[in-house]
Amino acid sequence: MPSIRVPSALRSFTGGASDVDVAATTVRDALAELDRRHPGFAAKVLTDGAVKPFIRIFVGPDDIGGLAGLETQLAERDEVSIVPAIAGGREPGDA
Amino acid sequence: MTTLRATIVGAGGLGGPVALSLGAAGVELVIVDPDRVELSNLHRQIQFTSIELGQPKAPRLAGSVVARGGTARGVVARWEAGNADELGADADVVIDASDDPATKFAVADWAVASGRCYVVAAALRYGGNVMAGAPGVACYRCLFEEPVEVASCADAGVLGPVVGAIGGVASAVAHALARGERTLAGALLVFDDLRRAADPRIVRFAPRADCPACTRAPISPFATPVRVAEVH
Repeated sequence: MPSIRVPSALRSFTGGASDVDVAATTVRDALAELDRRHPGFAAKVLTDGAVKPFIRIFVGPDDIGGLAGLETQLAERDEVSIVPAIAGGREPGDA
Repeated sequence: MTTLRATIVGAGGLGGPVALSLGAAGVELVIVDPDRVELSNLHRQIQFTSIELGQPKAPRLAGSVVARGGTARGVVARWEAGNADELGADADVVIDASDDPATKFAVADWAVASGRCYVVAAALRYGGNVMAGAPGVACYRCLFEEPVEVASCADAGVLGPVVGAIGGVASAVAHALARGERTLAGALLVFDDLRRAADPRIVRFAPRADCPACTRAPISPFATPVRVAEVH
């Protein structure tokens, strides 16, 4: 079954899970399935049914933007990666 | 032997290992950062000591590079459109090691417009990303469009050793780009959780047709086929 790799910034929505198996045939269905099990997840990734501009989704090494977008078909062993923009290097309370 | 030059934007947790390693490798550096050393920095910005508290980061880091035999100049400033030409003028590669999304876009946009190679490094919690940019490939703005964060270190924090690791990778990628190596050009290296696995996922992405940076680039990415095969 396909799996979704959850970025660390969103693991609070999946109980800390980094990889979640999903019974789905498209990327859109996979995100919907994840949202059913972890309500609120999809809203962090999608807006008005489209991927938010500061997030990219890949199936294996391939950007879904170069495939069929959210309708990209998933095979049994496909791995969906969600990659958000992040900054870095700062700790809470730093200047 | 040709002298390589790099501009490093950010002298903190990411910029420290980038500067020390590139400087030791003989790369001439300009280091740019507006901030001063704070006590809360020291656990992950290991290039600094308590003696340097309150001092500006960029010249202190440049001094550490010079003390190790390298060549570096520290500039106490924020990278902005108004000073980018001066700060990046001689650079073979520009490395964004800042913690600020707007600065990351500013560095990438300038590099694309100037036809330069660049690296954007970021770390959060236990992982991070390193993007290798070069003329003729999809850019950082193609990847993330605009500077809006899904999560910030100010909220989530970052593990000290993680910034060292991500900075080290960014340094190696920058050195390769400066030498003309293009294997990773246009790739994003994603490190999910360095406590569990050190191997990155390497992904590539297509240029956005409406990307304002790429449409003005001297070398357009739209004529270049996107390589989607994973790089090992």
